[in-house]
Amino acid sequence: MKFKILKALDVAGLQVFDPVVRLICGENPPEQFRKILLFIGIPIITFLIFIGIWTYLAPRHTTKAGEVPTPGVVKNAADGIWVFHVRENQKAEDFLLEGPAREKALAGVQARIAELTPLASAARTKLGELETASKSQIDQQVGPLQEKYNALRKQTRADEKAREEALIAQADSLPIGDAKARDAFLAKVSEHEVKSGTEKQALKDFKSTIDAAYADKFPEMESVRIQYNAYEEELQYLSKRLDYLTEGNQSVKISEGQSELVDLQSAFLTAEGGKATLKAAEKVLKQEESIARIAESSYSRPWTFPRQIVRSVACVFVGFFIGSAIAIPLGVLCGISRVFMAALTPLIALFKPVSPIVWLPIVFIIVGGFISDPETAFVHPAFLSSAITVALCSLWPTLVNTALGVASVEKDHINVARVLRLGFFSRLFKIVLPSALPLIFAGLRISLGVGWMVLIAAELLCSSEGIGKFVWDMFNNGSSQTFAQMFVVVFVVGVIGLLLDRIMIVLQRSVSFDGAPTAI
Amino acid sequence: MKRIIVNTAAALALSLSPAYADLDLEKDELKFGFIKLTDCAPLVIAKEKGFFEDEGIQAEVIAQPNWKTLLDNVINGNLDGAHMLSGQPIAATIGIGTQANVITAFTMDLNGNGITVSNSIWEEMQYNDPALDTPTPKHPISADSLKPIVKEKLDAGEKLQMGMVFPVSTHNYELRYWLAASGINPGMYTESDTGGRTDAEVELSVTPPPMMPTVLEAGNIQGYCVGEPWNQQAVVKGIGVPVTTNYDIWKNNPEKVFGVTQEWSDANPNTHVAVVKALIRAGKWLDEKDASGNFVNREEAVRILSQPNYVGADYDVIKSSMTGSFTFQKSDVRSMPEFNVFFDDYATFPWYSDGIWFLTQMRRWGQINEAKSPTWYLETVMKVYKPDIYLHAAKLLLEEGLIEKSEVPWDSDGFKPATDEFIDGVVYDAHDPIGYLNSHKIGNKDPAGLTAN
Repeated sequence: MKFKILKALDVAGLQVFDPVVRLICGENPPEQFRKILLFIGIPIITFLIFIGIWTYLAPRHTTKAGEVPTPGVVKNAADGIWVFHVRENQKAEDFLLEGPAREKALAGVQARIAELTPLASAARTKLGELETASKSQIDQQVGPLQEKYNALRKQTRADEKAREEALIAQADSLPIGDAKARDAFLAKVSEHEVKSGTEKQALKDFKSTIDAAYADKFPEMESVRIQYNAYEEELQYLSKRLDYLTEGNQSVKISEGQSELVDLQSAFLTAEGGKATLKAAEKVLKQEESIARIAESSYSRPWTFPRQIVRSVACVFVGFFIGSAIAIPLGVLCGISRVFMAALTPLIALFKPVSPIVWLPIVFIIVGGFISDPETAFVHPAFLSSAITVALCSLWPTLVNTALGVASVEKDHINVARVLRLGFFSRLFKIVLPSALPLIFAGLRISLGVGWMVLIAAELLCSSEGIGKFVWDMFNNGSSQTFAQMFVVVFVVGVIGLLLDRIMIVLQRSVSFDGAPTAI
Repeated sequence: MKRIIVNTAAALALSLSPAYADLDLEKDELKFGFIKLTDCAPLVIAKEKGFFEDEGIQAEVIAQPNWKTLLDNVINGNLDGAHMLSGQPIAATIGIGTQANVITAFTMDLNGNGITVSNSIWEEMQYNDPALDTPTPKHPISADSLKPIVKEKLDAGEKLQMGMVFPVSTHNYELRYWLAASGINPGMYTESDTGGRTDAEVELSVTPPPMMPTVLEAGNIQGYCVGEPWNQQAVVKGIGVPVTTNYDIWKNNPEKVFGVTQEWSDANPNTHVAVVKALIRAGKWLDEKDASGNFVNREEAVRILSQPNYVGADYDVIKSSMTGSFTFQKSDVRSMPEFNVFFDDYATFPWYSDGIWFLTQMRRWGQINEAKSPTWYLETVMKVYKPDIYLHAAKLLLEEGLIEKSEVPWDSDGFKPATDEFIDGVVYDAHDPIGYLNSHKIGNKDPAGLTAN
């Protein structure tokens, strides 16, 4: 049992938990504790130190564009993204609710609205009061400063003008051709200019104290503002839910449509005259059609981050499979035939370093040429373009590794195959590929990692729904949450990249006969 | 010329057959694109307040990464229609950039842009013109006090750098207009210079709106012209100072339009009318006022727009320009009820005269690189602006009692009266595009009396 678990952990690339299992089984506890400390304790400590440094440094680095978010702020942003997702799901669900379930939800929403409305209006009043208070405080601070500044500015300008006039007067009496006097005058002018410069600077410095007064922060007001905005946002969401539970609800719309249909049908039954009857018949059919349409319709849900993640993962796998489907056969051919290798080498060398940003527009045009009507297309062209870009950028490691793996099959194995007089295909599938598999999978693992990195850029550029689009949209929002949302993306991308890598490690190990140890 | 239009307008009004009364949609699941700017509001509101649903349309409203991609997506059919810069359908139709027949039957809003300069430029401007050095300087602020700075830079062998959002955007033309009104040459486009920097005293470059504050802070540009919320963002973050809005440059100028391709409109005529109906209602909802003239729905609109899948900026930032005021400096919050106009003053009607203004600017700065005749201006704009579709939609709304008769210019010939409400006071009469071109000091001038081409 113990060895089975240990073996499973080993194959899954989770050797770090090895000592935990051994400890539970009571095998040499001191040794296991030491290992746990080393393989689990130290990484956790490193991570905590990292968080600590981050928490310490973040508030100390502010630019005008924004502050570096602390871990707490990032957590809030992640919560915000999640709340948005949950709320959109709730709306979609509300749209489809019917019967008692709908009424129950409706009652819940109404109760919550009744509860929130007074809270929101109280917060609003409070906010208004605080805003007036803070404004008058700023005015009080700024008023005298501004007066002082105005006086100072007037004085400075008057001084400058006076000096200038004095200089002009002096210049008037300068003897022509007297180099010495003129030099002295030059020095005076330069002195005047320096003085003007310092005065201007002093004025500027004074002004910045005024600006500082405007930049005063009022923490209480800010917290009330956040609270008020949270109430109002929820109210907005609830009013939308209310709509989807009443007029906007599918079942409500259908029953309204049906009652109209009954009227139209009875009108059709009693219609007289050819023209009127035809018209009534048409109306009945149209109403039936519209009911059928409503019955099929669904809430048009915006893309939320969790759904975008799923789509990104799907996209990277599609691209990865396209890439592998090209890279593995080509790699095998390159490994088998020196001629083929020589023929492909320049192409590989040429295309390998090309950036995804260059591939994308080219792919976009080519894909667009094949898909003329995106409405009816099997896949969305933007999705396909991103996937193909991923494929083009990620196939190289697999190709090179496959070629290498195939070329370096042990001579003994080949000789055995010769002795057994195996045909080409049996030689390929029984000897060459199995022994090349570990290297091929090592290549695939790198490819998937590259693909995942490339995908974000590709999605961002061709606005295919996915993590890349999320990044660009949130950046475009330019809200106070933007930076924190970017940090959330960093973690999500990192964790998914890690998982993808682990999956590939498991695959790689399962095809290696020797159980060759893989790097972390 | 005028008579021709009057006749066509009358003919169009008559051709509104009752068959349209009950719109038979060709397509009911539509995708619309928008750029994250507050003036996408009519599209978002029409969806969120259920105006599209009332027309039987299931609409998806999708953010686009930039104006170029947005236009490409409309042309290749990924999107059914989109929130576009006023210049985009015109430029696409005459083949500046991507060539395609893009038309518009609905103007989304008036005004809504601002010109922001960096703090240090603002300080120098204040130094050059002491009248600006007060907490609430007098408006409009022209580029006169900027001129010495430009000269100084030129003497030092540098050029002031400013940002705008797209070569055929309203921002480009407004910024050029503002600079040229004070005698600063913003540069000309020529056949070989598609960057528009020939003879420039101030160099303009394209920067995506969300990047503007960042690039300004980094010092790559010293000022920019952009829509909201990116001017207010600069104030909130203390990066720059908005000096003027396009309301002062040209009072009630058309800003964004709702654009679709000609092919789409031909294939889905009823759907197009239904969409315009929903958008008109959204515009009206946005501009609804109470008895004392305060907007009643704007706060709700701002709440909706601040959702992350729409504009997504902070509620308070969007609110500062959309609820009837504009923050120039922290000390200078002004009431500007007309900063964004979504419906009043016949705002949503697709005026031929608005389109012609953009054509004159494209010619003035050399994007159209040969002289054109007045008839060409008119014919081109009639290819792009489709008041007949607007009037269809309006008529149906009137029948349903959703708008007032006085809210639509029913008998207009498509031309607004000549106006001199520009920052430099030059009179613009859309009937005489050549005369208008020639009345400016800086920019291309064309011989009058051209009849060919």
